[in-house]
Amino acid sequence: MDAQLGDAAAMVVLAILQLIVLVAVAPLLAGTIRRTKARLQGRRGVPLLQPWLDLIKWWSKAPLNGGPAGIASRLAPPIALGAMLIAALLVPFLAWRGPLNGWGDLLVVVGLFALARFAIALAALDAGGAFGGMGASRDVAIAALAEPGLVFALVIAALAAGSTDLGAISWFGLRAGIGLLTPAHLLGAAAFAVVAVAETGHYPVDNPDTHLELTMIHEGMLLEASGRPLAMLMLGAQLKVVILASLFAAVFFPFGAATELTPAALAIGLVAGLIKLLLAGQALALLDATLTKVRILSLPDLIGTASLLSLAGLGAHLLLAS
Amino acid sequence: MVLATDAVIGAVVPVLISTAAVALLMAALAAVIRRTADMTPALTVVGSVSAALAGIAILAGFAPGTARLDVGPAGLASLDIGFDGLGAVFLVALGLSGAAAALSIVGQRARSRPEGAAFPLFLLSMGLVFGAANGFAFLFAWELMALLSALLVVGLRPSRTVASAGYLYVAMTHVATAAILVGFALLGTGAGGNLQFETWRAAAAGLSPATRDVVFVLLLAGFATKAGALPLHAWLPRAHPVAPSHVSAVMSGVMIKAGVYGIIRFAVDILGAGPDWWGVVILAMGAASAVMGILYALMQQDLKRLLAFSSIENVGVILLGVGAAVVLAGHGLAALAALALGAALLHSVNHAVMKTLLFIAAGSVLHATHLRDLNRLGGLARLMPVTAAAFAVGAAAISGLPPLNGFAGEWLTFQGLIAGASATAVPPLLRFGMAAAVGALALTAALALATFVKATGIAFLGVPRSPEAAAAHESAAPSRIALGMLAAACVALGLAAGPASDALGTVARGITGAAAADPVAAAIGSLPRNGGAPAWSALAGGLLLLAAIGGLLALTERARRRTRTKDGSVAIRQTDTWTCGIAPQPAFQYTATSFAKPVQFFFRRILQPDRQVEVAYHPGTRFPVSIHYRSEITLLLEDRVYAPLHAWSIRFAQLVRRLQAGPMQLYVAYTVVAVLVLLLWAR
Repeated sequence: MDAQLGDAAAMVVLAILQLIVLVAVAPLLAGTIRRTKARLQGRRGVPLLQPWLDLIKWWSKAPLNGGPAGIASRLAPPIALGAMLIAALLVPFLAWRGPLNGWGDLLVVVGLFALARFAIALAALDAGGAFGGMGASRDVAIAALAEPGLVFALVIAALAAGSTDLGAISWFGLRAGIGLLTPAHLLGAAAFAVVAVAETGHYPVDNPDTHLELTMIHEGMLLEASGRPLAMLMLGAQLKVVILASLFAAVFFPFGAATELTPAALAIGLVAGLIKLLLAGQALALLDATLTKVRILSLPDLIGTASLLSLAGLGAHLLLAS
Repeated sequence: MVLATDAVIGAVVPVLISTAAVALLMAALAAVIRRTADMTPALTVVGSVSAALAGIAILAGFAPGTARLDVGPAGLASLDIGFDGLGAVFLVALGLSGAAAALSIVGQRARSRPEGAAFPLFLLSMGLVFGAANGFAFLFAWELMALLSALLVVGLRPSRTVASAGYLYVAMTHVATAAILVGFALLGTGAGGNLQFETWRAAAAGLSPATRDVVFVLLLAGFATKAGALPLHAWLPRAHPVAPSHVSAVMSGVMIKAGVYGIIRFAVDILGAGPDWWGVVILAMGAASAVMGILYALMQQDLKRLLAFSSIENVGVILLGVGAAVVLAGHGLAALAALALGAALLHSVNHAVMKTLLFIAAGSVLHATHLRDLNRLGGLARLMPVTAAAFAVGAAAISGLPPLNGFAGEWLTFQGLIAGASATAVPPLLRFGMAAAVGALALTAALALATFVKATGIAFLGVPRSPEAAAAHESAAPSRIALGMLAAACVALGLAAGPASDALGTVARGITGAAAADPVAAAIGSLPRNGGAPAWSALAGGLLLLAAIGGLLALTERARRRTRTKDGSVAIRQTDTWTCGIAPQPAFQYTATSFAKPVQFFFRRILQPDRQVEVAYHPGTRFPVSIHYRSEITLLLEDRVYAPLHAWSIRFAQLVRRLQAGPMQLYVAYTVVAVLVLLLWAR
């Protein structure tokens, strides 16, 4: 009983710790991505803290109401950010298991992403402009391409670990060590990486910094948002990058995560997690700075390839291994 | 004392079922008499609620396995009615859907008296289908259901398009019934002429494999037609949109589930474990129905047609669970099969609630604007807020979003397929097939989200695209109450997915014969379950999610309130939507057609869009005067399979007609020849 109680207390502490770290890091990661991108393009770039400063600025500003925007625009920012906060508690980051492990598995995380997308897309249609519709229409279409690839890639890891529970997958990876890196696993990781780029709206699928009207996807949906709702939507988008990167790390490269809930192990887990996030961010910045955007009409080739990669990984796992 | 309580509770179920039957019969009777016609919806609500309560009582274990009402003499032609767990699951779906649909028409007059009477009888016939315990009762109820629904679709004075949709429906449903009849005949022959389902179940194992295969194919074809599964779906997207909305709601919510019920009852329960290809066929039908159904749904501009195609998709999702269950049961994995089958049952009930909600809301829109065309709607959330809110909840639920009920069913279906893909007893190729079905389900879920963002956003948000939409009004109180209760049910069934899936899982374990001690591979629970098994703690996780959203909403709303000026007026500054600096117009908005355009392009090989753009230029310039855009997708199966089949059958009928030239002498000659041939053959 005492052990259970202690366990629960440890989980609450872990939950608070992980939430604080991820929320604090998310805008910072966006800052590092922008900084590296600027340097690669020969610019000095804005301060690392700029995304945080922007959030604070928007948080204290009074919102404007665009045209006929109504209840959907008011509900969407809390729903989108709320879904991301819960997802941030489900994903393993500091330790082999997320604080809310057992409350939801990887399919729940995918479901929470979908909930956020649903809310934002409806808010985009709420204001009755062309750009919101454009962004929403493209976003849901790209998601339709990306989701099978994402789920396939995660299912490869789930089949290897024998469970869709993220803690179980991460634990399996830590135990397997270098033996985790089977051909199926690497194919899945590659597919996940491509799909994650599309999901987070980075090059070559979308440009997070653009406000050029006809090219916006995610930004197009946020065009009518302002004030505190905009801050919530931006923080949600930044959190999504962190969550996807953590998910990638936990499922495909869990090495370094704490295997027991002691301060020392958690500290190592924190450092390992931050390094992985930084690496993922730098990779995104490299893509942003070096690639040209793919025409939206050619996206099926790119993302479809990722889905086929993970399908090949599934085949390798099921047909070759046995 | 305990015994007495048990006896009282045991009597509850028969009483509830009798109440339901009597109330529905009285509702039908009341509809025929002018002075009592207004009471019909209320009586229908009473009957439906009793039916739902009876089903819940049976599932909660308040009654022994069956509650039997013997109607008519025992023997060949007895109407033997008894609800076991499986029947009770569908009875609950019927009760919930029927009650809401009937409530939504309180205070409205039916188009005609026969149609007013047909609706409660239609509900009753479906109840009989789910309760039928022998072949005769089942076919009787099945035919009654088909004919009454046809009457409700077509009405007494149909237009040409409605009539043609109705004829297609009647034709397909009767071909299906013929297949079922032959399948039943084979089963009955195997059981020595006995028509009781119990006897069939015992005798099915003794049939030769070839006979079992033939029975399976016949019954699957028959029931899949009613379920609207590809490739036997052609009637569904035509018949559902033209029916009155409360009828569409029950047809989509429950009647097509009668097909699902048939597949589970006969292909899984009575026939028992079969060869792998049985499950593979069901899985393939499920995957095709799910992906193609939702892809076509996304392409629709007619709101009710969109919902009809979405029903095909959801039947596909249900069949994915059933197919996985059949494969796993065939390899003796009863507990895993029960997981997949439980998912199918849960999604059946959930879909009944969601689709009833969406069709009733679509009916409210149709009533308020006389429009089904999404491209002429818009901005309805301001004019009909209750309908809009309920539709949005239903749309989120059917898109499979946590914490609503649609997510629970899809989550369990995913788990069933993943469990199948990781079962080492199953051949690798089949495991790969089930893993591929996981991808199909993920694609389906993402496209469903696109479809319902489109339906909700284009119809209810933005500004009206036509004068009719601008003049819309909120629906009447009964309709609003029905919608509100259904939306609450979507949330409640999502949060209570743990107990619900446990109850349905028990039914599924009973069907697949899983032992009570067999471990559960994945579970939806009200509290976090540990032990490494994947879980969705629907209640705790759902409430936490709602609390997070609520807390954040309080933060944004406080910011809004704080910006009020001292005299109390809202200081939220109203601005124009950004449209590059010119005044916004309704036509600037994305339409239903343009919203679906990227997906239409991505899947152009399947959809084969036919696009025509006509531009008229100002004489001598390149300035356009008018632009006409028309885009249509190709329904591959309809155009490539059904149309040739139709043409061929007409040609065949014309050939046959030549035999019927008219002269009496010719017919006498036919008879003589026939008798001669028979005599020679019998010699």
